[in-house]
Amino acid sequence: MAVPKRRLSRANSRARRSQWKATPVQLVKTIENGKVTYSLPHRARVVEDAAGTPLFMEYKGRKVADA
Amino acid sequence: MPKPNKGPRLGGGPAHERLLLANLAAQLFTHKSIKTTETKAKRLRPYAERLITFAKRGDLHSRRRVLQVITDKSVVHELFTQIAPLVEEREGGYTRITKLGFRKGDNASMAQIELVLEPVVKKKAAAKKADAPAAEAPAADEPAADETVVEEAADETAADATETETTDAADAPAADAPAAEEAPADAEEGADEAK
Repeated sequence: MAVPKRRLSRANSRARRSQWKATPVQLVKTIENGKVTYSLPHRARVVEDAAGTPLFMEYKGRKVADA
Repeated sequence: MPKPNKGPRLGGGPAHERLLLANLAAQLFTHKSIKTTETKAKRLRPYAERLITFAKRGDLHSRRRVLQVITDKSVVHELFTQIAPLVEEREGGYTRITKLGFRKGDNASMAQIELVLEPVVKKKAAAKKADAPAAEAPAADEPAADETVVEEAADETAADATETETTDAADAPAADAPAAEEAPADAEEGADEAK
């Protein structure tokens, strides 16, 4: 197993870690019945009833799978 | 382990990969629609469509070619006698992959792969061509032509409605109720998007 020869400085460690960033998720905004909903692009959406119970998965106005 | 022409390797070895794909294909032909990971669905698509092409040819030699992969004779029989006539008119593209959510345990991207058994609509090509310019046109001259946009939206919703009807006819009659609910929802969405 390879073993580092020299100690990595605090500055170098922190410079490396500072490059690890989260990117915002790209969402699609749709308005249905005056209510704004966000969903993932190219991915089936879970359709819920008024109480928030998942009913089925929908994609392009077509029922694709059970929730 | 051999590298596939397209997509990642599956399983722990060549034999495991062959078995995985064969079992997935057999399950797909039995159930018409299966839920699996996106990776497996993408590897399965060309594999299963090739088997369907053999089934469309329908002779004894092609049946034996399929039996080399799927050893269950009842599944092969169903493929040749029930699935093949339904896709007789279709020129390729026998399966449809829809991405679903992410699996809870390992966050794997799940997908639904299903056989496209609806009858081929010849008008579809023309309708798609009409839709594509309609989608581009509003972006180009949005403030200029409001009326045309509304008309196009109406056309799109009408096309949607017909499509859902055709799919209903192909599907089991049990699926009528939700589709009927969806159709008006589609119309509303189309109208909203047009505005």
